[in-house]
Amino acid sequence: MTSRRTVSRISRILALIPYVLDRSTVDVEEVIDRFGYTREQLTRDLNTIFVCGLPGYGPGDLMEAYMDEDEVVIDAADFFGKAPRLTPAEALGLLAAGMTVIGSGEASPELESAVRKLTKAVMPDADTTLTVDVIDESQNVGVLRDAAANAKVVHITYRSVAKEETTERDIEPWSVFAALGRWYVLGHCRLVDDQRTFRIDRIKELEVEDEVFERPKRVPEPGVGYVAQEGDIVCTIDLKPAARWVLEYYPVEVLAEKETSSRIRFSSPDTEVPARLLLRLGTDAKLVDGDEVRERVREMGESLLATYR
Amino acid sequence: MQNVVERVLNLLIYLLESPTPVTSNDVRNTVHGYADQSDEAFHRMFERDKQVLRRLGVPLKLEALDPWEIDEGYTVDPEEYAIGDPGFTKEERVALSVAARMVRLGGAEAGVGAIIKLGGLEHGAGGIEPLAADLGEGADALGELFGAIADRRKIDFSYREQTRTVAPYGIAHRRGHWYLVGNIAEGERMYRVDRISNLTVGEMANSFSKPKGFDIKAAVNAQPWEAGADPVIKASVRFDEDVAWWAARSLGVAEPHGELATEVEVANRDAFVGWVLSFGTSAEVLAPDEMREAVVARVRDALEQAG
Repeated sequence: MTSRRTVSRISRILALIPYVLDRSTVDVEEVIDRFGYTREQLTRDLNTIFVCGLPGYGPGDLMEAYMDEDEVVIDAADFFGKAPRLTPAEALGLLAAGMTVIGSGEASPELESAVRKLTKAVMPDADTTLTVDVIDESQNVGVLRDAAANAKVVHITYRSVAKEETTERDIEPWSVFAALGRWYVLGHCRLVDDQRTFRIDRIKELEVEDEVFERPKRVPEPGVGYVAQEGDIVCTIDLKPAARWVLEYYPVEVLAEKETSSRIRFSSPDTEVPARLLLRLGTDAKLVDGDEVRERVREMGESLLATYR
Repeated sequence: MQNVVERVLNLLIYLLESPTPVTSNDVRNTVHGYADQSDEAFHRMFERDKQVLRRLGVPLKLEALDPWEIDEGYTVDPEEYAIGDPGFTKEERVALSVAARMVRLGGAEAGVGAIIKLGGLEHGAGGIEPLAADLGEGADALGELFGAIADRRKIDFSYREQTRTVAPYGIAHRRGHWYLVGNIAEGERMYRVDRISNLTVGEMANSFSKPKGFDIKAAVNAQPWEAGADPVIKASVRFDEDVAWWAARSLGVAEPHGELATEVEVANRDAFVGWVLSFGTSAEVLAPDEMREAVVARVRDALEQAG
């Protein structure tokens, strides 16, 4: 099969030609910016256009394409007056991108109207056919985005996923990103003096401070997932098929996966999280190994039974 | 690659400019790049190039050349080929360009391919854009599914070692995964797109009709306890102060000062009990009694399992 790179290269050529044909003068730098070219790539594509055309392939049949000083010139290519229409994959990609940003609560009215127009053009009922649910319920994504853009220190009250405890800390936000259907902020945490990723929906309160921090030269790639640490509580759990969602919801290590059950290793800083998980799973999970966790399940279970008595 | 690019451009020009459909022999004898090939090499090349045209979004069609449908020829209708103009303003183009680069799908910028065709990336004020989003994997299958939904084509695929035929209604990204909602003989079903394999899209367009009022957002319910077949009941539940704000966000109600006592409509009791217990001892179901009993039963089960 012809490579994806070849297809995108042709696609870009078919978009470049109508763009240039539509305008009386087109600046080389503008084309490079607009279509994501390097100068070498643009030269190569213009040379390719130059040798293609109508059957016969004589001087009058071929397209014209060249750089004249700092101008891009294309001519004799009327059959390429428009770019080809979007493929479903392209339409979906752009719609999904727009819907994601709208879901962040960070969308401008222009983006909303653009997505409406695009929807109308590609699939009139797309708003009941496609949905991207990466919603920011906290409405803090925008605040943190601005703080990251302006390198402002932010004071947060945070409820940890791993520890189920609420703490206050100053963070230096580097980037704000969505992954696995949730929004996160990545940055330097002054409380632990290390890089941390925080789930934005778990930030209870925040305040942007006046202090400006120095952004690292290279912001690391965002990523999510709990990294097991020394001193962690570790237990082994068998999950029935009905509890398989745990594999996707928690960063666990899968030890064995069978049709009837999956065995996982669960690491966390304390016993609270696995104990709550085991309580909610009832008969769908069985603790195989981990006496501290077992003790905590008993304690919490008894306490709950007393409450409901 | 250079040869492929030139050949495909020449082929496309030939197809766009031919007033009548052209046979594969016409292509072979006319378009630069196909001559001097053995029969087999030509057919392989031509098949591959047609595939490239389709992946570019070119509406390549095969039409009968005579009333007896003995000979068939290829054609591309220039009107159908041309991208429509959605009529974006400059500001809208900037907003879309920024969004297109921020969001990743299948390891690539999700919207850039479309933006290029729509006239290229528009650069706004610039500066650092710290916002990004990753919509996970599955770009190829999603494109095919989206196309099938648009054209109302039925699809076949393997899912958990079974073959299904589905009338696809919509796709949703939720909690980090893509889902397909569609209809089989027994009713509406939801499938995780990354578990779909051997996908084939039916030949016939408009082969089913979607129920009026279908909305993908309602089909993939926001909360697990809302998606169920149990008779809907109202449950009253209380959350301690330290988790009240967090519960309020999940429920979509105003964040309280202090503890939260609220009513929740429940259509899936198992899911609701699980969610309440995820708060440990910081949440309590107050009413009705049957729901309290369901919590107690689950806790007893868990205690028994723990031994």
